[in-house]
Amino acid sequence: MTEERRFGTGERRPLPEEPTWEQVLQRNTIERLKKEKAPVGIVHEIPELAGRHYLDISEEDIVRLQWYGLYHDKPKVGAFMMRIKVPSGYLPPQSLRAIGEVAERFGEGQVELSTRQNVQLHFIKLGQVPDILAHLREAGLSSAGACGDAVRNITGCALSGVLAEEAFDTTPLIEEAARFFYGNPDYMDLPRKHKITISACPYQCDMPEINCIALIGLVRGGRSGFAVRVGGGLSTVPRIARDLGVFVPVPEAVEVLRAILHAWKENRRYRLSRIKARLKFMVDDYGAEGIRAQVEARLGRTLEDGKAPEPRGYADHMGILEQKQPGLYHVGLPVPIGLVRGRQLIRIADLAWEFGGDIRLTKQQNMIVTGVPGELLPDVAERLEEIGFPVDANPLRASAIACTGEPHCNYSVTETKGKLKEILAHLENRWGDRLGNFRLNLDGCPHACALHWVGDIGLMGTTAREAVDGERMAFDLFLRGGVGPEQSIGRPLIRRVPFPRVETTLDRLIEAWLGGRNGLETFRDFCIRTSDQDLVAIAAGPAAAQAGGDPA
Amino acid sequence: MTEALLDEYEAGELSVLFEAEPPQELLSWALDRFHPRVSLSIGGAAEGMVILDMAWRIRPDVRVFTLDTGRLPQETHDLVERIRERYGIAVEVQVPDAPQVQRMVRRNGTNLMYSSVDLRLLCCQVRKVLPLNHYLKSVDAWITGIRREQWATRSNVRKLELDHDHGGIVKVNPLADWTKEEVWDYIRANEVPYNALYDKGFTSIGCAPCTRAIEPGEPDRAGRWWWETDAPKECGIHCAIYTGGFEHELHALLGDHSNGAGNGGCSRIAPTAMGRFSANTPRATGREAPPTETEVTDNGHEHRAGRKAGPGRGSEGSRRTAG
Repeated sequence: MTEERRFGTGERRPLPEEPTWEQVLQRNTIERLKKEKAPVGIVHEIPELAGRHYLDISEEDIVRLQWYGLYHDKPKVGAFMMRIKVPSGYLPPQSLRAIGEVAERFGEGQVELSTRQNVQLHFIKLGQVPDILAHLREAGLSSAGACGDAVRNITGCALSGVLAEEAFDTTPLIEEAARFFYGNPDYMDLPRKHKITISACPYQCDMPEINCIALIGLVRGGRSGFAVRVGGGLSTVPRIARDLGVFVPVPEAVEVLRAILHAWKENRRYRLSRIKARLKFMVDDYGAEGIRAQVEARLGRTLEDGKAPEPRGYADHMGILEQKQPGLYHVGLPVPIGLVRGRQLIRIADLAWEFGGDIRLTKQQNMIVTGVPGELLPDVAERLEEIGFPVDANPLRASAIACTGEPHCNYSVTETKGKLKEILAHLENRWGDRLGNFRLNLDGCPHACALHWVGDIGLMGTTAREAVDGERMAFDLFLRGGVGPEQSIGRPLIRRVPFPRVETTLDRLIEAWLGGRNGLETFRDFCIRTSDQDLVAIAAGPAAAQAGGDPA
Repeated sequence: MTEALLDEYEAGELSVLFEAEPPQELLSWALDRFHPRVSLSIGGAAEGMVILDMAWRIRPDVRVFTLDTGRLPQETHDLVERIRERYGIAVEVQVPDAPQVQRMVRRNGTNLMYSSVDLRLLCCQVRKVLPLNHYLKSVDAWITGIRREQWATRSNVRKLELDHDHGGIVKVNPLADWTKEEVWDYIRANEVPYNALYDKGFTSIGCAPCTRAIEPGEPDRAGRWWWETDAPKECGIHCAIYTGGFEHELHALLGDHSNGAGNGGCSRIAPTAMGRFSANTPRATGREAPPTETEVTDNGHEHRAGRKAGPGRGSEGSRRTAG
């Protein structure tokens, strides 16, 4: 029954005719909604909506609230998730403190760190939103365009400006881009969400390969600028971003971002259906060279040729390393399952304030304290441990991530963070620190917030057809995916592993790799050279593993 | 059988390919690939009838099923009979588990849905969701009539997707991008039989006790569960059972008790089951303690059983801390 199909390989079909606006509005209800009642206006209506019972708020207005980062939590009885954007993950102590305070006062003290350097609160009532927004504004934070068809949080290397090895400091550009795009009505009616990343981290820790637009910093002939990749993204139809083949000097960067956005947002082909609305489908249709031609036409000039650089290696920036500022250090804080308490944030903020440091959020849902003077390192590490974040925690706690999932997310099929906690406890116990920063990416549904397509092992929630020990919750296991130097889309080779068998299945795969690998071969490389059948046999159990466990 | 199913990657790519195709193309593909392990779900609404007509023209022996909850309006039964006459299709009727219904009704009365949101959800669970889960175990793919314009949360529905709420089988939504007008144009053009309730002012077809005609000017939501005041803000008119949304919501509201203990025994809706939300939602205010006399036996329906098995796993749910 297996069909030979090659998807997403760049094969291009003749494009259908561009639809008219009338066709778009007939076919796409969200486009109709955006046209009739611009979501950007919701911010002015929030004070009025705040006084109403949630049942008296129209479904349309509930949707429009997304444009300011508000999503109905599960069950939909008037409690909301609020997403706060943190450009490049950079937070001065006063901003971190504000988030902690808001969480304690309005969000039951819970704070989630997201894989795009956002912060997410839960349990928020609409009546509280005006207060919260005022608080955030004072702290220089915003939720404008955090969800909805807008420019989402602009991500980057968490250590921009302090990383010793960075090509140059991208912070000013990220700030400029965030100021320009966040809440800008011209970019609040995009065909769909849009994800930009900007960094000059030689490790490309910001994962340019899975963003709609990635600016990858490099210095060429003494000039700082960017290579550009377009059309990456995961969700249900994953794509690795393609190289636009250009070099863009820093001063032209925002202009180029705008030109790409306009080429996409003004093409009605990507308004007809939300299924094909993301930039990656336009890149599928036109190719990187086609996008470049359109961008150059809009700019009225040709762009310099260039080539996206290879990442130097993999880095999650945990540990303690000296910054580019001599005598100052950055200290990585592994945050297991990406959950922190508001009061912990307040204490970390106060600590950083004492020595003039900052806090950064990483894409692996961890934190980094920056600007720690060398002589204070032992003291700071001790105090961070007191707050609940030992800096020498098992690296696995930093590298494993899970999406919001159960209990808050309406989409999630399975529990996520809770299950990851169990899995981590088991793996730490069984393997100690032998796994290094092995990347477990655990998602509760196909939307891939925790990037299951590109984990060393990606886990995606599903159900088994028959229960095992009374349990039908299960995971599909994705293998052969990777990021950075190993960037590739994984495949769900091991299907429907019921919850009670997840740990043993992971153990078997890990055991086969550690026992059978060539030298320091990575898990991904091991999975690539091992056949599908052998991997399935290894996962299935000892008897099968003997036949398939020694592929070398 | 699982080898015959698609994986997530294939499903995603195929959904993009079929996005620009008419419903018949997708139906042909699905019937070709999965028949006889594919079945069309009809609930009496116009969408299901359009698909039935299309599918019958492709494969006259297409399988069709419906969930006879025991509380369906006569008009829906009449429609099932007209399908037999017109198309020669004997609709497969999936019924609820009799002991479960007996127990539920004995404890809570036959009109329990009017007593509380929890009991209405319980009724949906016993009469509709569990029978659906049971039926879907026998197929590798199912076809539904959900459309994107029905509700904002459906705007991203794919024409083809894996149904991870039901064992990862394939779910085919051929009319995902159709408008209401197109549905009715098709029905008129092809003289497709439709539910007589539409001519009586119904905008939503469901169980008799929970659905009513709406007056001109009334919101569609008034047609379903109109008596409820603090219900989840779900699709008030189009039942979310077909998107998985219902089950997620149900679980969030009832906890373990939405599906029994998974050991074939009974479980109760206890006050603790509501504890997770009582502090955070307006639902809790002014409410009686939830009924403690509800029991559900769950023989053979272990969907999500054990999800919160073991004390401490569910209870810490929303309050996990780091470190």
